[in-house]
Amino acid sequence: MPANDLSLRSAVDVLYSDHHSWLQGWLRKRLGNTFDAADLTQDTFVRVIKARTALDIREPRPYLSMIAKGLLIDLFRRRSLEQSYLEALAAMPQEQHPSLEEQAILLQALMEIDRLLLGLGPRVRQAFILSQFDGLTYPQIAERLGVSVRTVNNHMAKAMEHCCLMQIQLQLS
Amino acid sequence: MNLPSEELKAIRVAARWYARLNSGITTDADRADWRAWLAADPLHSQAWQRMAAVAEQMASVPGSLASPTLSDTHQRSRRQVLRSALLLTSAGGLGWLGWRSQATQNLFCDYRTAVGERREFQLADGSTLTLNTDTSINIRFDGQQRRLELLRGEVLVTTAVDPLRRPFKVVTGPAEVLALGTRFIVRSQARGGEVAVLEKAVEVSLPATGARRRVEAGQRLDFNERSLGALRGNDVSVGAWQKGSIIAIDRPLAALLDELSRYRPGVLRWDPAIGDLQVSGVFPVDNTDLALAALESGFSLRVTRYSRFWVQVAGGDRR
Repeated sequence: MPANDLSLRSAVDVLYSDHHSWLQGWLRKRLGNTFDAADLTQDTFVRVIKARTALDIREPRPYLSMIAKGLLIDLFRRRSLEQSYLEALAAMPQEQHPSLEEQAILLQALMEIDRLLLGLGPRVRQAFILSQFDGLTYPQIAERLGVSVRTVNNHMAKAMEHCCLMQIQLQLS
Repeated sequence: MNLPSEELKAIRVAARWYARLNSGITTDADRADWRAWLAADPLHSQAWQRMAAVAEQMASVPGSLASPTLSDTHQRSRRQVLRSALLLTSAGGLGWLGWRSQATQNLFCDYRTAVGERREFQLADGSTLTLNTDTSINIRFDGQQRRLELLRGEVLVTTAVDPLRRPFKVVTGPAEVLALGTRFIVRSQARGGEVAVLEKAVEVSLPATGARRRVEAGQRLDFNERSLGALRGNDVSVGAWQKGSIIAIDRPLAALLDELSRYRPGVLRWDPAIGDLQVSGVFPVDNTDLALAALESGFSLRVTRYSRFWVQVAGGDRR
């Protein structure tokens, strides 16, 4: 192991032993649940190790809480998506329900799509969903959103560009 | 992200094209303009492939479930949930397997090869397509069927077992080819085409006349608008293009040159006087100049190149 890796490792060790319980407490306050807090604490340190930044950290607690905040948002987003998914499923006739296995795949696929859509403005997002998933034509979307067909067209182009760049970025990371 | 700026620009323009073609009010002129743009630069087709990848990801989930799930969760109210539920039930007639996405209905999975190009594609269901030179294909997969439209050219299809058990059909000109678990080649020609089966069987039908015939492995069948031809046996020449060659066995020179010209851009002409000459041999399709040189030396022909894109074949001096 190169010297640099050794010092990086000991920096992570110090960070872990000094701030681990503090971070878990911080997360537990926000989550109200010990299990999730322990999971996210672990995930936070995994991020730190992967980013190889432990040696450069000047203010460990603000840094750790910044990463943990990102993970919290991901978790909330995931839960809220799951909730919406279950509601949508409940509205479907029972005989049309996919099998449990299909459902797991579907939910995962929906989360991945959700990540592509992250960062789009609400109007753009809505226009895109109406076109892609509800199969509406642009004139129909324009009518529903109270905008011109041209605006819908621009929304769609913007959304596709955004999703495409997000997809490339996610593939790289 | 470190994409070169030309690539970013191509993606932006491709996204605009996507938006325009996906409007539900596209004209033939739009499509023609799009094709011209696509052909103008390899970066364009690369960017378009990226759009197709996005569309494919969107198509991986049933829209009736994706729409209410993904509609922005921060802004949703109970009322919105209810409205989505209503939308769902009104679209429910299609059933679970009936989902379709705009993407798959439009020209998204529009695969094509240029003259002289040969490419393999894998479809969402695991089936593979090998497109021969100068071929265009549209894919229309939905909950009920896997349908491939061969607009021009030739394709080798290897179908995969579909968990949804949707039939796999190739439609070209007047004919429909129903795969019965199988590997086969369909070629589109002026006013008709040919089907050759390599494994298992297919059923070829002409919906307009009601004619239908089963073609087994090792057999081929041609068709035109009015009727199905007789079943014939495959020989080694069938599908040789996959491996990059044309195999001719006592074939009239005119037919061979006709075949070769499919693989080269520009004009290939020949003197009708030599059209009936019988030729045999293996000719490379990836280097048609080499094929012409082989004909020239092997069959005492004279090949004159007026330009790269204009070649004339005539009889040589016979001894």
